[in-house]
Amino acid sequence: MREQSLHILDVLVNSLEAGATCIELTIEEDLTTDRLTITVRDNGRGMDEAQLSRILDPFYTTRKVRHVGLGLPLFKAAAVRCNGNLTVTSQPGQGATVQAIFQHSHIDRAPLGNLTGTLVRFVVSAKCDMHYVHRVSKPEDEEAKVFEFSTADIKAELGGAPLTHTAVQQWLHKFIAEGERELTEVRAASER
Amino acid sequence: MKLQEIARQLALEAHTAKGKLDTEVTGGYACDLLSQVMARAQAGNVWVTVQSHVNIVAVASLLNLAGIIVAGGGQSDAATLEKAEQESVAILTTPLTTYTVVGKLFELGVHGVD
Repeated sequence: MREQSLHILDVLVNSLEAGATCIELTIEEDLTTDRLTITVRDNGRGMDEAQLSRILDPFYTTRKVRHVGLGLPLFKAAAVRCNGNLTVTSQPGQGATVQAIFQHSHIDRAPLGNLTGTLVRFVVSAKCDMHYVHRVSKPEDEEAKVFEFSTADIKAELGGAPLTHTAVQQWLHKFIAEGERELTEVRAASER
Repeated sequence: MKLQEIARQLALEAHTAKGKLDTEVTGGYACDLLSQVMARAQAGNVWVTVQSHVNIVAVASLLNLAGIIVAGGGQSDAATLEKAEQESVAILTTPLTTYTVVGKLFELGVHGVD
């Protein structure tokens, strides 16, 4: 894919289809170790050994309409191309964790892309809670810069107003865009 | 133009699904980003790429492409060739670069899907 956000969306949709009601999405940009790590952990129905062993096979899918499922195989190919890897761990009834690791500075490493748009659309339309953590750590900083939110907390603060409400969506978009922009500035500062 | 004729004119080596060489080619597409191919290539197209791993078979099967030309001397492993045979996906190889292959296809009248 041209952007990581598209791979991430693929994995989020997999989690939804597995019946997840809560997803933890963590993006770690560690400029000290030159690593980008994307982790999606869900509380869906999970997979057994047999399913896990086929998950990276492009000819394995739970979709009925076609016999090809390329989301994870392509994500893995992208990670491997960037000196990284992708692993999937899961137990039946215990959800699943997908972790993709990339060499952050690798020339073929696609940019994160439009995370804001992807997150807003997902959070608003999916009946699924998300806990999001995006961390950027640089060698010259004492502490990593973090942008974090939890839809469960947001919903509590809204006291019942649905996330689909226009005003809420607009606020959510602004909130996430701001958070992401601050991280982009932190990251860009070290690239000068 | 049939895939067989293209293979002959470009001196391509056919590895799998030889029965598919009789397919009429509708056009050509060249790209190494599989996500792009999935979005743009059309049924019956011949696809030129340097990628040789099993995912190309999945894409060709999904889109019902005429076949895949793996350019630049790339070779698919045995597992990939076996899968291609199972899925009736024709894989042809050539040491020529993507650029040259596409140029020759264009000269033969196999054009892009723009």
